[in-house]
Amino acid sequence: MTSILAIEDDEATAREIVSELTSHGFHVEWVADGREGLIRATSKRFDAITLDRMLPGIDGLTIVTILRNANIHTPVLMISALTQVDERVRGLRAGGDDYLTKPFASEEMAARLEVLLRRQGAPARETILRVGGLELDLVTREARFGGSDARLLPTEFKLLEFLMRNAGQLLTRTMIFESVWGYYFDPGTNLVDVHLGRLRRKLEALGAPPLIQTVRGAGYTLRAAA
Amino acid sequence: MPQPDLWRTTTFRLTLVLGGVFTAGIVALLGLIYWSTASYLVVQMDQIVIGQARGLEAIPPEALPAMITATEREDVRGVNYYGLFGPNGTWVAGNVRRLPPSVIVDGRPRELKEKGFQPGARALAERLPWGEVLFVGFDAKTLSGVRRILERSLIVSGALIFIIGLGLSAAVSLDPLRRVRQIQRASEPILAGDVSARLPISARQDELDMLASIANRMMDEVERLLWQVKSVGDHVAHDLRTPLNRLRALLYRMRQDRPELDADAGPLDQALQETDTLLARFKAIQRIGEIDRRERRAGFGAVRLDELLEELAAFFEPLAEDRGVDLQLHVHETRETLADRELLFEAVGNLVANATKFTPPGGSIQLALTCSRRGPAIEVIDNGPGVPEDERQAVFERFYRGRAALGTPGSGLGLSIVAAIARLHGFRLRLADAGPGLRVTLECWPADG
Repeated sequence: MTSILAIEDDEATAREIVSELTSHGFHVEWVADGREGLIRATSKRFDAITLDRMLPGIDGLTIVTILRNANIHTPVLMISALTQVDERVRGLRAGGDDYLTKPFASEEMAARLEVLLRRQGAPARETILRVGGLELDLVTREARFGGSDARLLPTEFKLLEFLMRNAGQLLTRTMIFESVWGYYFDPGTNLVDVHLGRLRRKLEALGAPPLIQTVRGAGYTLRAAA
Repeated sequence: MPQPDLWRTTTFRLTLVLGGVFTAGIVALLGLIYWSTASYLVVQMDQIVIGQARGLEAIPPEALPAMITATEREDVRGVNYYGLFGPNGTWVAGNVRRLPPSVIVDGRPRELKEKGFQPGARALAERLPWGEVLFVGFDAKTLSGVRRILERSLIVSGALIFIIGLGLSAAVSLDPLRRVRQIQRASEPILAGDVSARLPISARQDELDMLASIANRMMDEVERLLWQVKSVGDHVAHDLRTPLNRLRALLYRMRQDRPELDADAGPLDQALQETDTLLARFKAIQRIGEIDRRERRAGFGAVRLDELLEELAAFFEPLAEDRGVDLQLHVHETRETLADRELLFEAVGNLVANATKFTPPGGSIQLALTCSRRGPAIEVIDNGPGVPEDERQAVFERFYRGRAALGTPGSGLGLSIVAAIARLHGFRLRLADAGPGLRVTLECWPADG
């Protein structure tokens, strides 16, 4: 069973994290204090850690720095009330793998954590991604289905690569925007939708089944047709 | 702001007034000395004149002319006047050839006012028992000497006091003036809107420092109040986002539990959508506060504007195409601009999103990079309804929605975010008529003043 360590001093937020992740089938251990959290994280193996940026005892940045220096590479999702972009940069530079600002939608938190868990397991060396008959050549940047292929525009390629690397995984619009375009603000909902719509049409033109599915009220997921 | 002027400083004026008073005092002092010396000398001269007259009276009449001549010879200084006249006024002896008409023959010393004598000279005339008239005078050479000395001292000391006083006033005014200029320089950012700037205070604790510290205390209060006003909105937004997120999570779970509902128009989906809209608005409010609070130039770097616009055009092109709007990009290579790339992307993205929203299908949007002598400018031109002149300032305010925006979805916060980003950069944002449509220009150089 996948085990998660949640280091979070705000009880309400912690309860939310625990209940959301438990409902995703994870085993969650909650620690409210920075020092205690660090001890737990170094003494036991977890698959991922959610880490509050501001904690009593030792703060989140220090914890993640210590973990990385101690060669512990458990994926860390940093959660913080500090929204400034430079705070995000500091969090990621210290060794955090993703950064989520408070308040957050719990399914977004869970989705980000699952992406981190998957990234941990998948080897990054492949040159062709395959999902349900759809192939994406990372070298030629071509999408193939059956016998036909299509050249993708740079954005379309990045988008499809992100979806395929996280196939089966719920991806929110924010996560897609951040990963594909590399910006961290709210671009308005339908921009990402429009890009996905265009990619969908391009894939369908290849004769592929509708692999990209809309998850109502949450985002998208690419999965092989059942 | 008026430039501080050396001649207008209080210190300079005070020193000058002091110099004036001092000079007047010296004039009065020298005047008093002159007046006392003069009266003292008058008494002295009168006594000399009377004494000499007494001495000559005692000489027998036949020896008198010779005596007068002899006495004259002894008077090396040439300060004595003598005259011996016959009963009918004819000259008998002495260096005065004619009895001055103003002289009264009564034996009392008086001032000689005739020409040929120095002013202030004293003389007496008396009738000798044998009928002749004896005239004895004493010239006021000492007095005029003293007067000349005093006059010279007055002129020299006056000039010295004036020059030294002027120099001193200027010198002592320079330091306060320098500090006033310092305060002026320090107040420029405050006037430009930076309420966190403060006036310099020296260790002297003098009146300038007192004033500066009063002004600083006032600025503290202004800053605190401004901060409070700003953060009320932010706090409300932040505090409301937490329960809204919980509400959204509930709605989301309810929706997940009813996969059989497929229609988009269900009340549950609508509730989710409305919650998302609310969350997006609160996020936007917080975003404005965040940009405003952001440390200036924290994320600044060299930005290639042409590349930025190309990226933006690629990002918005599918949306424009979906809406049947033609998005055209006009860029050319420019040199790099110092800016926060991500914020600039967000700002121009907002402008393009607005243009896309308000341009009717079949219309076109121009995203252009123009260059002027002062620097590059980003232009977003649409041929939608435009913004009437009287609304052009208001559209930058939070929640303001133009008349043309009625009936379209939106929060009225997009342009406020753009304005906040422009403010952070010191760039100017202009709205103009594109006849028809709206031309938004973001001038990518620091606007001065």
